[in-house]
Amino acid sequence: MPNGGPPPTEDKKLFNFYWFGLFMSEVDPKIFKEVQDMNRRGFIKVCGTMAVASMVDPSLFSHVLAQQQDGMFQAYKKALLVKADGTPLKEGDIKPHVNYIFFYPHTATPCYLINLDESVPPAEVKLRDGKSYRWMGGIGSKKSIVAYSAICAHQWSYPTPQYSFINYYPPHKPSDTTKKAGIIQCCAHLALYDPKQGGSIIDGPADFPLASVVLQEEGGLLYAVGVLGKDQFQQFFDNYRTELRQQYGSTAKARELVDKCTVAEVDKYVQAVVMC
Amino acid sequence: MSRQWSCVDRREFVSGILAVSAAIPLLAYATPSRRQKAHVVIVGGGYGGVTTAKHLKRYNPNLDVVLIEERPFFMSCPMSNHFLAGLMELTQLCFSYNVLETKHGVKVINDKVLGIELDKKAVRTSSGYISYDYLVLSPGIDYDIEDKPYYKESIVRNPPAFKPGSEHIYLKRLIEEFEGGDILITVPQPPYRCPAAPYERAALIASMIKRNKLKAHMYFVDANERPLINSEGFMSAYYDLYRDVATYITSAQIRDIDVQKRVVRTSHGDFKYDLANIIPPMRANRIVKEAGLLKKGQRWVEVNPLTFESQVKNVFVIGDAAQSYLPKSGYAAHSEGKLVAKIIDARIKGKEVKEEYLQMICYAMVSDKEAIMTETAFRYDAVSKRFMPTHREDNQRKESTAKRYEEWARGLWRDLFG
Repeated sequence: MPNGGPPPTEDKKLFNFYWFGLFMSEVDPKIFKEVQDMNRRGFIKVCGTMAVASMVDPSLFSHVLAQQQDGMFQAYKKALLVKADGTPLKEGDIKPHVNYIFFYPHTATPCYLINLDESVPPAEVKLRDGKSYRWMGGIGSKKSIVAYSAICAHQWSYPTPQYSFINYYPPHKPSDTTKKAGIIQCCAHLALYDPKQGGSIIDGPADFPLASVVLQEEGGLLYAVGVLGKDQFQQFFDNYRTELRQQYGSTAKARELVDKCTVAEVDKYVQAVVMC
Repeated sequence: MSRQWSCVDRREFVSGILAVSAAIPLLAYATPSRRQKAHVVIVGGGYGGVTTAKHLKRYNPNLDVVLIEERPFFMSCPMSNHFLAGLMELTQLCFSYNVLETKHGVKVINDKVLGIELDKKAVRTSSGYISYDYLVLSPGIDYDIEDKPYYKESIVRNPPAFKPGSEHIYLKRLIEEFEGGDILITVPQPPYRCPAAPYERAALIASMIKRNKLKAHMYFVDANERPLINSEGFMSAYYDLYRDVATYITSAQIRDIDVQKRVVRTSHGDFKYDLANIIPPMRANRIVKEAGLLKKGQRWVEVNPLTFESQVKNVFVIGDAAQSYLPKSGYAAHSEGKLVAKIIDARIKGKEVKEEYLQMICYAMVSDKEAIMTETAFRYDAVSKRFMPTHREDNQRKESTAKRYEEWARGLWRDLFG
């Protein structure tokens, strides 16, 4: 499958089947009107997304619908977040302001998981072309847990086992260079993103916000269900063919979609966390 | 007529035929007749030109974008001091233009630009004319040595290595062959390409003297009062790390170069050398002068600071050739290329573009393992209607900054050729 495009049919079926089984919320008639205007293929695609959105928060239904049409939301395999020992990761395991890494939706695409230790409401994420999309905010009992792609939207720096130039700067540890805290910053070209605002650009040269990972909590378990925003997966796989072959054996393996994500503290995965 | 012909003997006739035959290709070269048309023609395949081409196609895949570059391959000037100091292989600095064609749909013409006819909106190459609606000139620099003939001989023997390619390769060889004696590095007055580069090069050569335990001393002769950028970081590195192997002489102007005796005469005395890197003053590439974009006495092309448009509508000049508030560097050219691509795309679509942010980041090695850096962000100020700079320097030398430096370059290369 071309990366960044729709997930494989088989995955989509699994995904839709699962979510239709749980889809219980009322549907806004306006949305059905929109659906009638769409073709059958679009309808099926939207239904899958509707189900996801309704489980996260029924009020987000129409937003996700709109985003799906704009290509801003991409559903992937639902993946359980687990600890290094394979047991499910619970909300209480995520220490505040610690930067955790996991790989989603592909085996090789890194993401950061952060407990911002405060309620993070939904936000409108603006793009440079004037368009925008709705980010759903934090999840968990405090609505404080967020997740983002750790591939810089500027020139695709990402955490490797050797180095991470893109990192989260907690409130008590501001950047030496930009003096800003509570941010995700890439030290290569000083692209700054706001984890409280859906990965919006705060400053720097990035053309796009950081893509966010749509998380869902269900019965105390945490899942990643899709990616919201302009993901950089195609550029990632294009630019790092050699590195990914070395690390994963083949690019096909690196591209495999995951159904389980092991979460680890970044400094346990990366040898040198480069802060600046 | 026939009498004239009859006066020509067989030998003369044959030699005449040969002369005419030989002249035909030259005439064809001088008066190309083939014509092509493109929406946008970009002259120069360096950081500015490649960025403009790629981003234009990204914004508008339907545009005909032609990039004309004389060199068959791209070689990065940023990070070339790493190559000279043996910290990076040359292969890592070199890229093929093919990807621009195959992946992004840019037409790359590997040819020499013979002239630019602004009135006809056409670029003349050895293979023909290419007319344009929009022209982006990113031709880089030439050495400004017309009125300083002593530089001419020096350049051949002591490659400045500020134009990527053979100059770097030859200087690297001279460095490798150097076994001891006096090393001389000179810095011209600004503006010149990459303000930090001579200071970084001096630090890396001094580091090499120490690493290889050479019986050598470096004289670093600067036309300026202090390093033009990251002054504190460079000065502390020179003092802390190299004061036993190097002498830094400031405000020294070059008066003459005697390549036979291997002596550079300056306002602060004469310096003998066994190995020299004499960096001449610079100016915009000859193409812009020949196109009539330089006024008398100007070395760089005046451009609108918000759009990088020259005095000729829809003709943009970016990178080192432009007279700009941004320093002359690959990263600045990259920033300018992105901006100009947005402006051209918007104009074609009948829109206005307001860019509110430009950035310049510059890293410099001060030892084999440590680097310092500077960042200047330019934000548009609606009141003064100009870009206002915010300047930050990190003068504390760190290994982590050296790693960031590498990632900075790799990111740029990914953006250009990924």
